[in-house]
Amino acid sequence: MIEFLSVYAEHWSAWWPQILPAVGVTLGLTAGAYALSVLLGLGLAVGRLSRVRPVRWFASAYVEVARSVPALAILFLVYFGLVPLGLTLDAFTAGVVGLALCHGAYMGEVFRGGLEALHKGQREAALAVGMTPRDAFRFILLPQATRIVLPPALNMLIVLLRDTSLCYFITTPELMLTARDLTSTYFLPLHLYVLAGAIYFAIAFPLSLATRRISRRMSRGLRQSV
Amino acid sequence: MTDLTAQAEQIAHFSAVLLRGAVTAVEITLGALLVAILSGLLVALVKSSRSRLARAVADVYIEVFRGIPPLAQLFIIYFGLTYVGVELSSITAAIVGLGLNGGAVLGEVFLSGVAALHYGQREAALAVGLTPLKSMRFIILPQALRITLPPLTNYAINLLKETSIVAAIAAPEIMFYARNLTTETFQTATIYLLAAILYFMLCFPLNRLASRLERARAAWR
Repeated sequence: MIEFLSVYAEHWSAWWPQILPAVGVTLGLTAGAYALSVLLGLGLAVGRLSRVRPVRWFASAYVEVARSVPALAILFLVYFGLVPLGLTLDAFTAGVVGLALCHGAYMGEVFRGGLEALHKGQREAALAVGMTPRDAFRFILLPQATRIVLPPALNMLIVLLRDTSLCYFITTPELMLTARDLTSTYFLPLHLYVLAGAIYFAIAFPLSLATRRISRRMSRGLRQSV
Repeated sequence: MTDLTAQAEQIAHFSAVLLRGAVTAVEITLGALLVAILSGLLVALVKSSRSRLARAVADVYIEVFRGIPPLAQLFIIYFGLTYVGVELSSITAAIVGLGLNGGAVLGEVFLSGVAALHYGQREAALAVGLTPLKSMRFIILPQALRITLPPLTNYAINLLKETSIVAAIAAPEIMFYARNLTTETFQTATIYLLAAILYFMLCFPLNRLASRLERARAAWR
């Protein structure tokens, strides 16, 4: 064990100048894709509940397709597949867009679940007291749905963090690719991949604890309000 | 016209190669699903133990596999373990890696399945004279299975999609062949679109099945 750890002490000064920026890229991918997928998810959720049939149809078709295709295939299509059409994205942008296209569909299902869980009377009551449909959504439905949606939506952040590792395939210089590059120089695969895993874990674990805490709090509040 | 037939022939060729990958993908999925169900049952069992230490071990297992990307797990198992003298074939590494990872997911699924049952079920079974083992076998498990079947199906779909990452350790599945084909022909858009369609054709029916099971469960409860 000591022997295993001493390898890190020996190489740390050579590794960290490459590992640290890679962690930054991983976090950037996570944040960018998360923000985009929340927007896309909101659009899809509202679209699936829309009264206009083609909108509803398109939103559910999108969700079904995106849920049946691996994130990796979507990333490849965005990064390599658009080149013949004259659209070349850099590896980071392609990573953010590809991950968001995939996770937006899941996010849409989370949001839809939140909106559908609300009693119909909430909307009817808001309209009855003279709110416009828009105000009813903004001030009555959305705040309540947020509480139902927050735990699974936060959980998606962890899932997304994990999935940024897929950008390894499209050569985004994130953590896995950097670990791989270092391996070809130092021939220490076990140490480097365990290090990469430990870094992911160090980011994900606090998130996981926070998610659990918030879920408990939210469910407590919900039970009281019923 | 000849241009068109040439293109059709090429697409047929691509599809045939990718289909070979689909067979491997399904094999890996089935193998990993088995490992995941077994390790998931073990995790659920250990987590419902009365020993604090055992429960803590199960928690660590779940959190570690939840927080670390499957790709990193695969690399540790496939490349890392050679460092300590363990060499696995890429398919074995894929089945073990994805399967152990799934154990953490299914462990929680099984736990919530058992937890969803009223404890009166077990008490009643014991009261009418069933042994604890028999109450598990005939009363708790059949009901828990009904509750866990939809999330289990969802997990299987995710697993099938996740097999795409084992291309990184050169297991000859769909994405592996797709990448090979693109380096031969540079037809990236066509090939990756075909690969996506192939995954869709595999996963879509399963997705429909999952939502049917979900509805059936909702009706039963």
